[in-house]
Amino acid sequence: MTTVALLGNPNTGKTTLFNELTDKYAYVGNWTGVTVEKKVGQIRHSNTEVIDLPGVYSLSPITKDESVVTNYLLRDSPDLILNVTNASQLKRNLLLSVEVLELGVPVIITLNMIDDLKRSGHYYDLKTLSTELGCPVRTSNARNKEGLPQLKADLVQNQADIQPNSPLQLNYPIMVSQAIRQAAKALTTDYQIDAKFAHWLAIQYINDNKVVRKYAVKNHLKPLLSQQAYYDAQKFADQIFETRLSFIETTLANATEQLHSTKHVAMTSKIDKVVTNPILGLPIFVGIFFLMFKFSFDWVGTPLSHQLDKLLSGPISTWANQFLTQVGALPMLRSLIVNGLIAGVGGVLTFIPQIFALFACISILEDSGYMARAALVTDRIMEMIGLNGKAFIPLIIGFGCNVTGIMAARTIEQPKERLITTLITPFMSCSARLPIYSLFVAALFPRHQAVIVLSLYFLGIVVALLMAKFYHVIFRAKENSVFIVELPQYHIPKLSIVWHGTWDKGKGFIKKAGTIIFAGTVLIWLLSNFNAHGYVTQIDHSFAASLGQILLPIFRPIGITTWQPISALLTGVLAKEVISSSMMVLFHTANQGALIGMIGGSFTALSAYALLVFVLLYIPCFATIGTIKSETGSAKWAAYSVVSSLVISYGLAFLIFQIGSLFT
Amino acid sequence: MGLFINIIIIAAIIGLAGYQIYRAVKRSKQGECAACDYDCEAKKLLNKSKKRAL
Amino acid sequence: MNHFMIKQFNGLDDATTQRLHSLGLQVGSDVTAVRFYPFHGPVIIQVDQQKIGIRYRVFKQLTGGDLS
Repeated sequence: MTTVALLGNPNTGKTTLFNELTDKYAYVGNWTGVTVEKKVGQIRHSNTEVIDLPGVYSLSPITKDESVVTNYLLRDSPDLILNVTNASQLKRNLLLSVEVLELGVPVIITLNMIDDLKRSGHYYDLKTLSTELGCPVRTSNARNKEGLPQLKADLVQNQADIQPNSPLQLNYPIMVSQAIRQAAKALTTDYQIDAKFAHWLAIQYINDNKVVRKYAVKNHLKPLLSQQAYYDAQKFADQIFETRLSFIETTLANATEQLHSTKHVAMTSKIDKVVTNPILGLPIFVGIFFLMFKFSFDWVGTPLSHQLDKLLSGPISTWANQFLTQVGALPMLRSLIVNGLIAGVGGVLTFIPQIFALFACISILEDSGYMARAALVTDRIMEMIGLNGKAFIPLIIGFGCNVTGIMAARTIEQPKERLITTLITPFMSCSARLPIYSLFVAALFPRHQAVIVLSLYFLGIVVALLMAKFYHVIFRAKENSVFIVELPQYHIPKLSIVWHGTWDKGKGFIKKAGTIIFAGTVLIWLLSNFNAHGYVTQIDHSFAASLGQILLPIFRPIGITTWQPISALLTGVLAKEVISSSMMVLFHTANQGALIGMIGGSFTALSAYALLVFVLLYIPCFATIGTIKSETGSAKWAAYSVVSSLVISYGLAFLIFQIGSLFT
Repeated sequence: MGLFINIIIIAAIIGLAGYQIYRAVKRSKQGECAACDYDCEAKKLLNKSKKRAL
Repeated sequence: MNHFMIKQFNGLDDATTQRLHSLGLQVGSDVTAVRFYPFHGPVIIQVDQQKIGIRYRVFKQLTGGDLS
């Protein structure tokens, strides 16, 4: 088995390339930091395993996801490294390449996104690059599958056939190279470390690579540890950087060719003029979200969803009922299947159009390159709160699912900021809460569906930001946070990538219908059909009813006057979709239309809104609680998150209902 | 006989639901990939390598 | 005009300096300021075909000039 590691700067198209090479679809987005863990795939019909590593600017990591790469290189040694670079930003991409080439592992460099380079009117002579850098150089454009057969052929080699690379030797200043040589020699003789690796280790150590320094401490590499003060005092790290940069500049100057046809990259600048406009930027950001909800609810999602519901509540329910009666099923089993599973699980599934429409919109945003602009436009607000514009990206991903949002928080540099982002991500309205919004807005705000949903999403953001400010003061996080965000070229979203992005996110929802939503529905069916004495025909005498009745006084101040929603909220901790399926089971209706009628009867616009706010903010689902625990490494934070969100959601719903009641 | 089959089916559905809840709670304790419902490539391979290790 | 030269990296924290270095910025690099946001918001700069958003304070430190 040959192992190939994909390595490169963020947003150079590594993951797109990975997907194309391995015929697999990993998650792709047009912004920095999509890959936060390493992924493994196999090239079809071959013995070659490909590892997709997170994008890094250098091997000296600043963030948690970046250290994945350095740790990988310290621990494993791949047979071949495919260094993916962004052809039009070769200068800084080669800074990483130099570090990799110094390692002495066979490397192939590919100039990816080669079409962007051609459009800018430059080209590079590949032969010159190849001789200067001492490794094969290829060109590719992963989005259009250009140059991929050649790359694939390069990668599908037997281990024995791979040409060994000798490590790249740069002419570092005499003092530096002497220090490197001495340290490497000592490491080889005293610790039996391979000469090439020792050389690389010495350079990285001198260059103040935090992970390598930790590695040296752990392995008691005395030759390095004893000289640390000397290295740092002489500012060797700066000298190494300067040597590398001037080497790259000379190499590129030798290799650059001018093309005759110069078509400028005008599209990106034109769009940017509008989208990142100082005054219009924020309204455009809000507008894009409004359009997203308009599309998902008013235009596409809801009409389709109604059709599905008609099918489910009409023919399917009737047929199932008749069939079960004919084969002699007991009323209890009939109730479980028709009123429980079909109404509950099926009912949640009818929201597939809305959810997929929203995911499609988010995928388009991700693929186009807008996300980085959103981070920029919102940075001023985030800075006031003491957070980083970059914290916005995990938050936006949190709209899909809070779990992935929390995972994406790994791209944030400061540990305290990362913790804060992890704690506030559950306030982002994830897609699992859509069905319940959809149900209520259809019942009580039929004309303003998109506006109401938009307001909930923004309320989630506002609460998250306020809490962030609060944590920031409490934790006394330092003010100076790194905010450097790259603005990638816009891409016209590609149908296949958008579709796969939508499908990847939507698949989880369908899968959940078979697992946790199914389980929650059965649970609520049991609770609503049994009491301490056994099976009941009157739902008002069931466990669910008595439980709801006990808690009713607590919920009355936020406008809930019946017990059903309370029981539904309890099961909603399993997964937020379960709230909707529970409502269907508890109100004993087989179709959305009837349920909407029931909701319209037992809620006012105000109490419905208060309930939606409560649903938005209350206890995160199991999966999210688990992720908070594993990412913060402590159960205390997970427990804290549960309690705090409960307090906040209740408080806010209370305020909205009480203040609102004064005016109505 | 009919009653028996009815009871078996009901028990099976409830048992499956109970198992799913049990699994969800257990998975959320493991955190990271385990809590996520999306079965990505990395996760599949991770599971495979775990099995191989056993 | 909107052309600036990077004068120094002093006064910036290590992580910021390192990240800017990795993006190919060094003393003497030519920078075009593409856009300033109001209230000392972020600045979009262009270096070697690529656009980067940085904070105003960092921009000011880099160019060493008095921009307020």
